[in-house]
Amino acid sequence: MKTTAATLKLNLGPQHPSTHGVLRLILELEGEKILSCEPDIGYLHRGMEKMAEGMTYVQYLPTVDRIDYLAGCFYSELFCKTVEKALDISLSQRVRTIRVVLLELNRISSHLLWIGAFLMDLGALSPFFYAMREREMILRYFEKLTGQRMMYNYFVFGGVRKDIDYLEDIEEIIKVLPKKIEDYEKIITDNPIFLTRTRGKGILEPETAFNNSITGVNLRASGVEYDLRKTDKLYEGFEFTPVVLDGKDAWARYKARVLELRESLKIVEQGVNILKDSEPLRQKLINPLTLKLPEGEYYSEIEAPRGLASLYIKSTGMDKPYRLKWRTGSYYAVNLLRRLLVGEYLNDAIAIAGSLDIILPEVDK
Amino acid sequence: MRALLEGLFTVLKHLFMRPVTLEYPEKKRFQSDAFRGKPSVKIGENGCVGCGVCKKVCPSGAINYEKDENGKVISYTFDLNKCIFCGNCMYYCPHSAITLGQNFELGTADKSELKLTYKGGSEND
Repeated sequence: MKTTAATLKLNLGPQHPSTHGVLRLILELEGEKILSCEPDIGYLHRGMEKMAEGMTYVQYLPTVDRIDYLAGCFYSELFCKTVEKALDISLSQRVRTIRVVLLELNRISSHLLWIGAFLMDLGALSPFFYAMREREMILRYFEKLTGQRMMYNYFVFGGVRKDIDYLEDIEEIIKVLPKKIEDYEKIITDNPIFLTRTRGKGILEPETAFNNSITGVNLRASGVEYDLRKTDKLYEGFEFTPVVLDGKDAWARYKARVLELRESLKIVEQGVNILKDSEPLRQKLINPLTLKLPEGEYYSEIEAPRGLASLYIKSTGMDKPYRLKWRTGSYYAVNLLRRLLVGEYLNDAIAIAGSLDIILPEVDK
Repeated sequence: MRALLEGLFTVLKHLFMRPVTLEYPEKKRFQSDAFRGKPSVKIGENGCVGCGVCKKVCPSGAINYEKDENGKVISYTFDLNKCIFCGNCMYYCPHSAITLGQNFELGTADKSELKLTYKGGSEND
């Protein structure tokens, strides 16, 4: 990047409190206009992929929650799914439903935190506290069930750690949350200040999104109907409508996430009804000490809160993977900033970056 | 304008709600029975037999134990510098000798305190 006398090079982050985690953006400014943006990543790199090569599958399982600590269930599920695919294990209806319910609760908690953090990026503090308060209900449920608030280690190959319990807590969440979402909408959605800061900002055309491998809510807010849950076997029998908006801007991405909260609640409600009527859990778990994947290459994908997440495992028939590769949604969203921020004003940079729901552990891995 | 006022009214309503924050450490938050905190192990009768499953499933290599010449476990160490509280050792222990307890306030100024050594069922630190 060449800086001339008329331009200014500005480091946004990695310690800037408004950025999410440890993202560093090197901006070139002319006045307040952004001429170019260079994201610098890697501050949270833990070597998740290389680490896997030295660990058995069972040892690696608890660490995958940390790829995205706000939605750990998704990566556990993805890892289990790939291993189950390799071993040709099919899941019972109850296990599938338990997984769906927990995944969707996790999605809600992740989106809630995003709403709070996004509004805090824009300078509004109250919604952050409200969102955290509701998220706490979900985290508390997770703690009751799995023993921890964020690093669950609850999904195992071929099933779940133990049968689901405390369904009344989930019912309470289903009862309380819609009213709270209404409250957020009252405070945020039509607020003139919020509208000025997000409407028409960070326009993401579908072509740009395709070229940059953008998936998930960001893509759906650009008017493309692409939701893996519709074709995922795990979600078979659940009724919901993928949220598709064609606003293409930061506001549409916010609205899509709020609407998705309601859709996720619908799925959770259906799941709870199934769980109440079905028999107690019966599952055949795999012996962790003899677990070996047959030689070959395995791939599976899932709709995570931040876009399509996928995992590729190459096995040579050993108890450890030969090579393992994660594909995470945020990684591509960070890269998109190079294009999205050019021509925008510095004030909008945080709003645009925030609206993409980037989480850094997922980017750096 | 109407939206702005409606938003302000909603925020005001929250002002009169019961606070949800707690004054830690005077007041402790809710903690479930399943919580995974400080690890402990039972050695001796109905306890650890030194089969080594925990060591094999531990992702961070935090577990170590010593046996005497008869093959009996004499000391068992959790290294909290390494432990990630995933609970794998507890879940896979065939004798249910390991428990991850309720204590999560494990901060200390002395690093050696983070090596938890258990001998014959009691902690020695």
